[in-house]
Order: sequence, then structure tokens, then C-alpha cells
Amino acid sequence: MVFSRTAPLLAILCLTSFSAVQADEGIRPASGYCVEDPKNTEQRRRPGYPVDEYQLPECEAEFDDGRIPTWTSPFDLGPMVPDRWRIVNTIGINQNLWDPYNTQNVLKGDVPAWGKDWFYSIIAISDTIIEPRRFPIPVGIATTSRSGALDTIGGGETTILVQNLILENVVYKGNTTFKPPDWEVRFTPVFQINQVHADEKGILKVDPDKGGSSGRKRRDTFMGVQALFVDKHLRNVGDRYDFDSVRVGIQPFSSDFRGFLFQDAQFGVRLFGNRDNNIFQYNLAWFQRVEKDINSGLNDVTVDLRDDHVFAANVYWQDFPRIGFFSQGTVIHNSNREKGQFLFDKNGFIQRPASLFEEQSRNYEVTYFGYSGDGHFDRVNLTTSFYYAYGHQSSSRISGTEEDISAFFFAAEASMDFDWFRPRISALWSSGDDDPFDDEANGFDAIFENPQFAGADTSFVIRQNVPLIGGGGVALMGRNGIIPSLRPSKEQGQSNFINPGIQMIGVGADADLLPELRLSLNWNYFRFDKTEVLEALRQQGPIAKEFGHDVSLSLIYRPFMSQNIVVRLSAAGLLAEDGFDDLYGNEADTPYSVLANITLMY
Amino acid sequence: MKRAVLSIVALSLGLSACGGGSSGGDSVAAEQGAVGNPAPTGTPTTCGVNCFLSPADVETILAQAVTEAEARNIGATIAVVDRVGNVLGVFQSTGADSFVTVTSTAELGSPVVGGLESLNFIPAPLAAISKAITGAYLSTAENAFTTRTASQIVQENFNPGERNVPSGPLFGVQFSQLACSDFSQRFQGGANSTVGPHRSPLGLSADSGGLPLYINGVNVGGVGVIADGIYGLDKVVTDFDQSVDELIATAATVGYAAPTNIRADRITIVGKTARFSDARVSDLESNPSSADTLATIQTAGRGSYVPVTAYYDGAGARTGTTFGQANSGIRPADSAVFVDSAGQSLDAFVFVDQTNQNRYPARAGLDTPGGVAANALTAEEVQTILNEAIGVANQSRAQIRVPAGTQARVTVSIVDSNGNILAMGRTRDGPVFGADVSLQKARTATFFSGTGRPVGEAPADILRGFPDPLYLAPMTLPIDLANLATLTDPAPTFGRYVLDTQLFFGNGDALESTGSSVAFADRSGGNISRPNYPDGPESGRPGPLSKPPGEWSVFSVGLQLDLFYNSLVHHIAHILGNVPDVPQNCTGNTGFAVTNPFTIQNSVTNLANGIQIFPGSVPIYRGGTLIGGIGVSGDGVDQDDMISFLGLHRAGLRLGTVNNAPPEIRADTLAIPGEESRLRYVNCPQVPFIGSNETEVCNGI
Repeated sequence: MVFSRTAPLLAILCLTSFSAVQADEGIRPASGYCVEDPKNTEQRRRPGYPVDEYQLPECEAEFDDGRIPTWTSPFDLGPMVPDRWRIVNTIGINQNLWDPYNTQNVLKGDVPAWGKDWFYSIIAISDTIIEPRRFPIPVGIATTSRSGALDTIGGGETTILVQNLILENVVYKGNTTFKPPDWEVRFTPVFQINQVHADEKGILKVDPDKGGSSGRKRRDTFMGVQALFVDKHLRNVGDRYDFDSVRVGIQPFSSDFRGFLFQDAQFGVRLFGNRDNNIFQYNLAWFQRVEKDINSGLNDVTVDLRDDHVFAANVYWQDFPRIGFFSQGTVIHNSNREKGQFLFDKNGFIQRPASLFEEQSRNYEVTYFGYSGDGHFDRVNLTTSFYYAYGHQSSSRISGTEEDISAFFFAAEASMDFDWFRPRISALWSSGDDDPFDDEANGFDAIFENPQFAGADTSFVIRQNVPLIGGGGVALMGRNGIIPSLRPSKEQGQSNFINPGIQMIGVGADADLLPELRLSLNWNYFRFDKTEVLEALRQQGPIAKEFGHDVSLSLIYRPFMSQNIVVRLSAAGLLAEDGFDDLYGNEADTPYSVLANITLMY
Repeated sequence: MKRAVLSIVALSLGLSACGGGSSGGDSVAAEQGAVGNPAPTGTPTTCGVNCFLSPADVETILAQAVTEAEARNIGATIAVVDRVGNVLGVFQSTGADSFVTVTSTAELGSPVVGGLESLNFIPAPLAAISKAITGAYLSTAENAFTTRTASQIVQENFNPGERNVPSGPLFGVQFSQLACSDFSQRFQGGANSTVGPHRSPLGLSADSGGLPLYINGVNVGGVGVIADGIYGLDKVVTDFDQSVDELIATAATVGYAAPTNIRADRITIVGKTARFSDARVSDLESNPSSADTLATIQTAGRGSYVPVTAYYDGAGARTGTTFGQANSGIRPADSAVFVDSAGQSLDAFVFVDQTNQNRYPARAGLDTPGGVAANALTAEEVQTILNEAIGVANQSRAQIRVPAGTQARVTVSIVDSNGNILAMGRTRDGPVFGADVSLQKARTATFFSGTGRPVGEAPADILRGFPDPLYLAPMTLPIDLANLATLTDPAPTFGRYVLDTQLFFGNGDALESTGSSVAFADRSGGNISRPNYPDGPESGRPGPLSKPPGEWSVFSVGLQLDLFYNSLVHHIAHILGNVPDVPQNCTGNTGFAVTNPFTIQNSVTNLANGIQIFPGSVPIYRGGTLIGGIGVSGDGVDQDDMISFLGLHRAGLRLGTVNNAPPEIRADTLAIPGEESRLRYVNCPQVPFIGSNETEVCNGI
């Protein structure tokens, strides 16, 4: 049982940084201005137009006789300033390093930090999480936190407290807004303090006596590196700044729109760019995955990289098949060569191999073929992903043989906006394995999922890693995961293609009650795709497929209608069905997950 | 002699229907159909539910093993036993070692000193028999386990190699079925197999190369092979071994192999698959189906039967018993006595003697608990507890059997406060090892709950009365009793175990007559019998009944081994030389002492077949007075715990006169100085009952 967390900061990082290519608003030509002497002005450029066309007219130039001249008032351009960034200085707005908004701030990339076109920007984020939750956890095999504990399932209250400080440092060279930077260097260390308190011993650390409160508390600090890369703008391939870039180092990447397959900040090399006025965007990437710190979920750069490689190629096609809809085709290959490895996390629990079935780490080669789409058809918003995973892995049962991997994943969400109200429906199906003892692995597993779907981290099922008590040292679902992949942890475990799979349908709604306040409601119904794997692991049969109803509610309050202060409060409960009862008994208190999250950004 | 051989051949021809064809998927309940059947008086006409190993089967099995050993240019010692431990044949091929060395560190780790470690004068047939018995005793119609399975579940971590996690669920089971057990049966001489369960010379084995034998899906026995000279275990379960013992044993089982759908590798224990065997038929270097006959092998001088003192006379292959019928020593119980509260038959079985008499019908306690004779358990109470426990077992889903959701199968033993057996009974098809083990467990819980008993009966008094174990040194060659020597270090003493326990609990009265009673379930006693306390993390100090690093191994576990160590040496000396065999009590043996060797001093019934240190028993109380114990063995340890605890509880509800230990005196209430961890009392499984989602079935009781 591992209680780790992957903070939503990962999602934040990904959202703020995953702008491989973004569509720019077209800039309209200004009108109504003139200059005294056109020779003193710099030339403005616009793709597709001759430069001359864009000159402001000379003031008081020739008139047509019969027309009233356009009223133009000559004004003084003032003294020459070193560059355009410092124009506002002349009207009395001076730099205030503490104010990211109202001044020209060298810390926010408003003015060059060095030379004419080297900028520096820091984004500092404080991310605070308070997360009380309850779900079944086991009593320690060898010791308990109290006398009289005679059964296997213990008290399930745990509380997580996390404080992150994220410092996103960006240095780039370029002409700013309209044109991609020529160089970009980014370094994002994340400092985290986390603390978990549990009712039972032996949950937080393998040694039941370690940690505070008789082994029922664990406090940890960690510094992870969530970005450390250099980005070189290789070339422009057209007047509209279609480009090719290469990015080397630890960088965010998302395989699809909702993070179903691989959304992470990983070490790699990525060639990316766009074509045809940004209609097409592409990525060609290789990643070798960085080991994660188990308690923080952050990248641990102090240890060797994993023997796990991800090769990704994808193409985005804007306005296909309809205007307003993005289509994406992708091929991702995951090559894992961790067979024979033994890895214990810092809490002492085994991560590789997973402590289930033969407890043998595997090599696997799996290729994901995917289609994803995101956008709208008329008023209907739609996002969808489909993956087929095909490959093979070394058998844990028979020396020198392999098992075939063949599995699929599908998810879709449709919504429609009615003024301030957006109802949603969603469905998901991750295939399960129907026979853990045959030579086929039919359970779908992601590389590193971070699904922004069906309520995401406000959902109990997605957020919480409920341990499969008595079925191995694994969790049913990973933290911030929707696939019941039975990994020791999403962060450090290997993919597991022998899993029960899951099906989900849900309805939800987002309501913008106030400009500053959004209320989201989600009802999701989960059932396992196949339960033979669970029956084998638990040596129990039959286990019903129906898992339960996950009902959640969340409030997002943004007092300034910006991302600078975001307060989120959510609560989710699981109304258990027979499958859950078969695994954890029908006397368990209703599992819940409460998440209070305050994000302050500079 | 010649006539005997001929008659065996003739008999084997008649029985040939039993041989072969068992590698399919059948899993016929072994005892199914046995109800009401008399012992077979002639040749069974079909194999179906009356399977047993015929001499022809035994010869086929032995010949296949010898052929594989020859293909590998190695001499092998092979033993075949029936399901209750009758030795049906021991055969050595040319070049077989006469002796084997016990060691846990042949493949990994630095040598361990003490206990059975490094003993190099163990006759090879004893190893082979122990391995064969392990394969037979751990397996049933619904699970096929091997010595490799045993290796996986008896080590200090489960799985072995997964550091810092608690020990294997059957930690300590290797020291059961002991040669000195008062329960286990012995070889009677003569030409016929006799009632079991029989003892095993070295206890159960963790050395790969002991496999169960099946005919038509019915477990009929086991085969054990030793060829590599090492009686050890497998400490690394994340790889695939090529164990020569196991490969030869695999050849032996061709035609008699366990159905694949019930093998250990289809069964999970807390989510981890049990191991069956790393050897596969495709790894064999011979073709077992075209192996020479054993007669050809013997005629050519390529091997011979070997007599083994106290186990086998060397006179060719024997006929095995039919499990579940009276000649096996296990037969259906009286369905009018073994009934649930509604009077319905529990489908129980009992242990019988050669005359088909129940060896342990319920009887009243022989003790005077708390000084009051009337406190002793009555026969009715004993039978009620036994019935309720079997009822719980029938209601529970099994941990170690397939298909998932099938019933738990166990043996239940009840003893009085002095360890006298008051009753034993079992469910259908429980694994045989659970019989002796359940009795060990019942006695262990009762014994260690005895703090505060009168002087002389308190555990400390009894322990200190035993002659201390005298560890033997590896023998200088040649192997000869005259070269037997003892180790000077380590030299454990029972007084030291008592003192260490008292220091551990910070209570000088612990285990003493002057102390106050604390109820120790076997799970609690097991907690302090692990090489680390708390169980698992390497940083923990040794439990007071265990051993420090460098002295602890599976072959040197602490008090459990030391209690009967001298008796085991006595038994080996009997086999090696002309010392009379060890008596049927494991305690009080002087061992290889300078004066009065192998004599009995202060032996007690309380621990007559040794102690057991994995869970599955609770002491029985009348109010606050200790009056006995109930032990359960045969399924998962949590199931064993629950069956003993809930069985007693339900009997108490019916009778109103017996009960579990009052919660305030249970071992899980103890605060241990300097430790954050407390002991466990019992641990009942999650969602334990068939067809029910009930959970937390033990909390609050």
C-alpha cells in the first residue's frame, strides 16, 4: 500500500506549458494614426502582406480636394527609447518587481533581462492541498495500532497535507509575442512538504514503527525537477511562422487532449512544429523516463533514469473533419526493459516487480495506436480518445517465453453550453483481461495517465488509490488514474496488462454561478470490465463487476477571474455496489474523498 | 524373497488401471464417494474415487526418475510415498550420495551456524522421504503444492527476497510431522502399508524436488528426489531454477503429474502466486515414457531399493493406501456425532487406528484447571467446539484451493491445558500436514497462555526443566557415529529463552507461575518467534524465541527447533546406528549428551509433538480460567485463525460455558517496552464466507 500523491500541479504545469503550438489571434491593422515622418518608424511586418502596405500614413499629407480630411492630430512620439519595451517608462510606469501586472517587470518577461531580446520570466506557484479521505485499508499483518483489531480490514481514515512551491524559470531569446522564441531554457524545481496520517500501522512505511504517531504518520520533503530543458527554434517554414523546434531535457508532454495515455514531465528529445498556417502540428519524441519520488510524485533526478523508453509520433489536424474540431493521430511505443529489477521505494515497499502474481518484473514492448479528437460540432462539444495497444511482454510463469498484449481504451465526453450552464455526458472503457493464466494480456494500461476527465481529481475513483487488500501490494486504481491497473504505484510501477479493466458512464455539469465561482457536479458509474483477475488475486469467486456510483461536487473560486488565486473545494463519495462489497465487505463506511486546494500564483 | 517379488508383480498387473493418464484437468474430490465405503478388500475395478498407488505405479515412477538421473549423469535417491506417508519405495541409482548436507546458504548468503545448518551426515533417503511426504501432505484434490511451494512460504519474508515484508504464511511448518510426534504414525514393518498420517524424518522439506502424485485428479502420494547433495531451499523466487532434484522428480511424475489447473501457480496467497515447479517436461533430458522398466534397471545393476531404518524395508515397491478410507487412517466421521447446531451432518472425517477405531473421540479434559477438576472441558463441550469449528470451515472460502470460492479444508485439534488430545477431526480433503500441525498449534497456544499456572506447570518451569539442546557439529569424514561431535557455540538454553522473553516483555513474571495469565494465540507467539520484531523489517531485533543474524535460518529458527533438536538427533542416530528409536514425545530428550545420551528427562505432554509458530489457534477459557486450546491447520493462516477463534466463539454461544480469552488478557493488549508494535491475537480474513459479503466477522468478540 502506497500513499503517494501526484499533485494537480502536474496538471497545472502541463496546462501552462503544453503549448507546443498555439493558434494566435489575428492582429488587425490599426487605423486612425499617422506619423510625422514615416522614415523614422520601424517597419511592421505581417505575414502575407508587403511591408509597405503597413506604414502609417504621413500626417497632414495630401488632401483630396472635395473631402473633409480625416482628423488626425499630430502628436509627439517623445524621446527615443532604447526599445519598445520601455515605452511605458516614459509615461511614468516604472518597474516594480513585486507587481506582476501593472508594471514592466523584468521578472515576468515584460522587458528584456539582457540585451535586446533575452527575457526572463518566473512563475511562482504555491499549491496547498488538504485532503481527508476514507476507504478500506488493511490492518498490519504483524502488528496493529490498537488491541482488539481482529480482522483484516482496518480503520480507513487518512489525511494528506501537501505544500508545494513551484518555481518555473524561463529564459528565452526572441521577438516575443508574434514569433516563437529562438531559444528557450526552462527550469522548474518543485519543493514539496507532504504529510500523511493513517489509522493503521504499516501502511505508510513498510516498517510499522517508522514515522511519527507510532508509525501512523509520515512526513517527507522532496525537491523534484519538473522541467529542465533547452528549446531551439530550428527554423521558420513560412511567412506565418510555421516552424520546427527541438526541445531537449525534462519537458512536459501529453499524448492526447485529456492525458489518458501519457501525460508527464519526462526527460527526452522532442522535435515539433507546425505547417500550413498551423493547421497541422506534429511531434516526434523520444523519452527515457525519470524515476519518480513515491511520496511527492515528483521527478527524482538524483537516481538513474529508468530502463523505459517512450517513442511518440503524432499529428494534429486543426478543423478536421469540421471547423472547430481538432483531430489527432498518434503512434506511441513504450519499450520497458526492467526485467529482473528489484526496486523498493523510499517507504520500503516493493515497486518493481509488483508484489502480485509471480512477482517477477518484466520486459514489455507495446505500441499504442491512437486517435483523439477535441473541439465542437456546432454547439456540441466533443472530446474523445481511442487507443489500441499491441505488443508482447516476457512471461512471468515460463522462462524464456512471451505473452501477447492486445488491449484497447476508449473515452468520450460530450457537452453543450447553455449560457452559464454546461451539462456533460461521458463514457469510458478500458479493456480487462479475462484469464490471468493464459498467454495473452488483454488489460489496457497507460504509460502514465493523468486523466482530465469525468471530474478528474474531484472524483473518488480517479483520485484515490484504494488498496487491493489481500490481493497483493497494489492499488486498484492509481492515484489520479482511472485504469484499474493494479500497480504498486502509478509513479514507480511497471505497466500491468493483466488487470480487470473498467467501464464508466457519467453525467455532469459545470455551472458558472458567478464569474468568480464555478460549481461542478459529477455522477459516474463504474464497473469492472472483467473480474477474473481480481478473483484470482483474491482467491475469491465470484466477484461482481459492479463497482459503484461515484458522486462528486466541486467548487472553484477565482476571486480575480484569473489563475492567480484559485481556491478549489471538492467532495466525492462512493456508493458501493456488489463488486466493491465483494472486495471490501458490505460493512465498510462510505468511502469519500475531500480535496481542498489553494493555488497562489505570481 | 523371490516369491514376494513375483506376487508384487502379479498384483501390479491387476492394478495397472490406476497408472497414468492423470495429467489432465480433473480434480475429483479425493474423498468423494469415500463416505460409507469400507476399506478396499480387493483390486479396485476403476481408478475413479478409489485411487491408490500400486507397486507397478511405484516402479514406473522410480524408473522414470532413474532414467532422467542417468541422462544427467548423476546418482539420485528417490522416494515414493502415499498420501498418508507410507513409504512405498526408496531407490538409489548408481552414484547416489549416501549422505546430504543441510544448508540454507548453498546459493546465497553467508553460512549460518547452529541448528541443523551444515549437518552433513543426514542419510540421503531421509531427505528423499521428507520431500516426498511434503509433496503428498501439502496437496489435495484442489491444490497441488510442492517442496518449492513450501520454500516460498516458510522464509523470513513473503515472497522471499521482498525485503522487510512479513514472513511466509507457513513460517515454521517445516518443523512438523516430526519423528518424535505423539500423533504421527510409524512404520510397522510387514509387507502392508499402515494407517497414517506418518511421521517425516526431517519434517517438511523446502528443498525443491518433492512433488505430489495424482491419478485421475486424485492425490495419491508424492515423490521426493535428492541428487545434488544439498538439502536446502530457494531464496530467490524471481528467477527460474534448473534444479536437478526437481528435474528428476518431474520425470518421475510423468503420467502421475498434478492436474495443471490445481497447481500452486494457479493459486494466489495475498495476491502472489504460489510456486509449483521451475522444471518443465520440456526441460527433461530423457523421455520418461520410454524409460526402462525398473526391473531392467535393477538387473543391469544401475540401481537398487535401499532399506531405511524406521521407514522402509527395502523389499521392493509397496501398495499405497486409498485416501479417505479406513486403511489410510482417515475416514468419514460418525455423521450423527459430527453435526451442526441444526443436526445436519458436517461431512467430517476422523483419524482411525489399524482397527478402524477413531483415535481421538471427544473426551473430557484430564486436567484440573485453576485447581478445580470441574473446570476441565467436558466431552460434550469438546465435541461442540470441534463441530462448530468444522462448521466455520465449511462456511468459509478457501485461500489455497481452486476453484476460487471453494470451501476451506482443515484439521481441528482440541487439547486440555496440559496438551492432552481431547479430540481431532477434519473436513473432507483437508491437506494431511494440517493434522499434526493443528495439534502443534493447539498445544502451543495453550502452553504459552499458561503464565500463572501452578508451580511446575507454568511454561517457564516446564521449559527450564528440559535438557538443553546440544547442537551437533558437521561430522569429520567418514560418516560414523563415532565421529559425532557437538558445537560449543552457539549453545542455546531454555532458561535463556525464558529470560529473553521476560526481558522482551519487561516482566519478570512472564511465563512464570507468579505472573498473571496472558492469552497467546499462535499468531501472538509467532510474532515473537520471528528473526525480526516486528515481523518483517530487517532493522528489528530478533524475537525472544528466535535467533540473531548469523544463527537464524529456516534450519535454525530458535525455540521451535531447539525443543525437539535432541529428539531429532536421537532419531538420526537410530537410523545411523543401533540406538533405539526416539520415543513418541519430542520433549525432554538429553540428546547427544556425554552422560546419559538419548534419555528422557522431564518430558511433558504439553508440547509432545513440538510447537508451531504460524497462526491458527487460540486458547480456550472458562470465564478467565485457561482450560485448553483449539488448533486449526490446512488452509490460509487467516482462515485457520478464524476457524479456531469463531469456532470456539460459536460453541461458547451454544454452550454458555466456554469462551475465548477475555479481551483484556489477550496478548494484543501488552505494551512492549521500547516497541511501538504490539502483538496480534488473530487476523480473520476479509469477506471470509462463501456467498456473503459479511466482513469484520471477528472484531468485537
